[in-house]
Amino acid sequence: MDDLEKHIQKNRHLFDEYKADRQKIWQNIESDLDASKIIYLWNLSGIKIAATILILVGAFSMISLFITSRFDQTQQNQVANQELNDIDTYYKSLVSFQVQLVKNNPKLQPKEKKEFLSFMDELDEEYNILKLEMSKNLNNEYILEAIVKNYKKRIELIENLLEQINDSKNSNDNEGYIL
Amino acid sequence: METNILHTHKDLVEKCKSGDRKSQYQLYELYIDAMYNVSFRLLGKKEDAEDIVQDSFVDAFKKLKTFRYESTFGSWLKRIVINKSINHLKLKKIPISPIGQYEYKITEEKSEPLQTFDINKIKNGIKMLPQGYQQIINLYLIEGYDHKEISEISGISISTSKSQYHRAKKKLIEIVNTL
Repeated sequence: MDDLEKHIQKNRHLFDEYKADRQKIWQNIESDLDASKIIYLWNLSGIKIAATILILVGAFSMISLFITSRFDQTQQNQVANQELNDIDTYYKSLVSFQVQLVKNNPKLQPKEKKEFLSFMDELDEEYNILKLEMSKNLNNEYILEAIVKNYKKRIELIENLLEQINDSKNSNDNEGYIL
Repeated sequence: METNILHTHKDLVEKCKSGDRKSQYQLYELYIDAMYNVSFRLLGKKEDAEDIVQDSFVDAFKKLKTFRYESTFGSWLKRIVINKSINHLKLKKIPISPIGQYEYKITEEKSEPLQTFDINKIKNGIKMLPQGYQQIINLYLIEGYDHKEISEISGISISTSKSQYHRAKKKLIEIVNTL
């Protein structure tokens, strides 16, 4: 180390000749620190807000999906219900018409009528059970099929009965003609 | 003595780590002048030095949690100021160490002896040096960094740092002798 180096090292403090504007620089530092704090908080709350929005959107879409599916389901149910009602009214009116025919038929004995109508009552009971099942599970095609079968059976029975009555009537008529 | 200083500051630094504004101001008061001078000597401009010092303190307070007392707080902070100042010069495309015409001359030239030890003349002499020379003289003679540290700070090789320093010193002596 030469003389110049030694001399400067010894008098290093003399080189600090400038005076800083302490207040001005500190004010800037403080506002910078505050700003970064706000940014930090903003980032934090930003993340929180983003997360909340994400959760809300998720929850909303789940709910709306659920509602829509429910709505769809109710719509589907309504359509199925409508279909079922149509079938029901069609067969019901058919059955009741034929039952009336049987009831009003003068050729049948009251005993025979009662016997026949008890069959009808049994099928009616079966029909009620099936309808109850149907309300529990509308998508069950087996039940729907069973209901239709139940109606068909009733109609078949009535038709058979009516046919028999007519047959006997015809034969009676024939006999009349023969006579 | 050194450890005492380290410990006194440790309390303050610890408080600053938790973001205590009062402690931050105390630490700022202790170091502002020294840091301002470091930056001013390298940049030679009041406004630039103020900006860099402000930026350095803000950065230091933000990064304080990473400070592990491997050095004194002062030298840690000074390194931040110097790095920022050098980067500022690089951004302004001011050469940190100009490549002189004797760049590849390995033998050391004999310097003429210094005729005066007047600190004011030396200070003025430094200011009259080309900016690259000023920086190396400042870093080596006044800030007290060795050539290895200067090479890290400035991104030049150790040998370049050495040769540049010797040329800068020779030039400085020439100038001071004429004052």
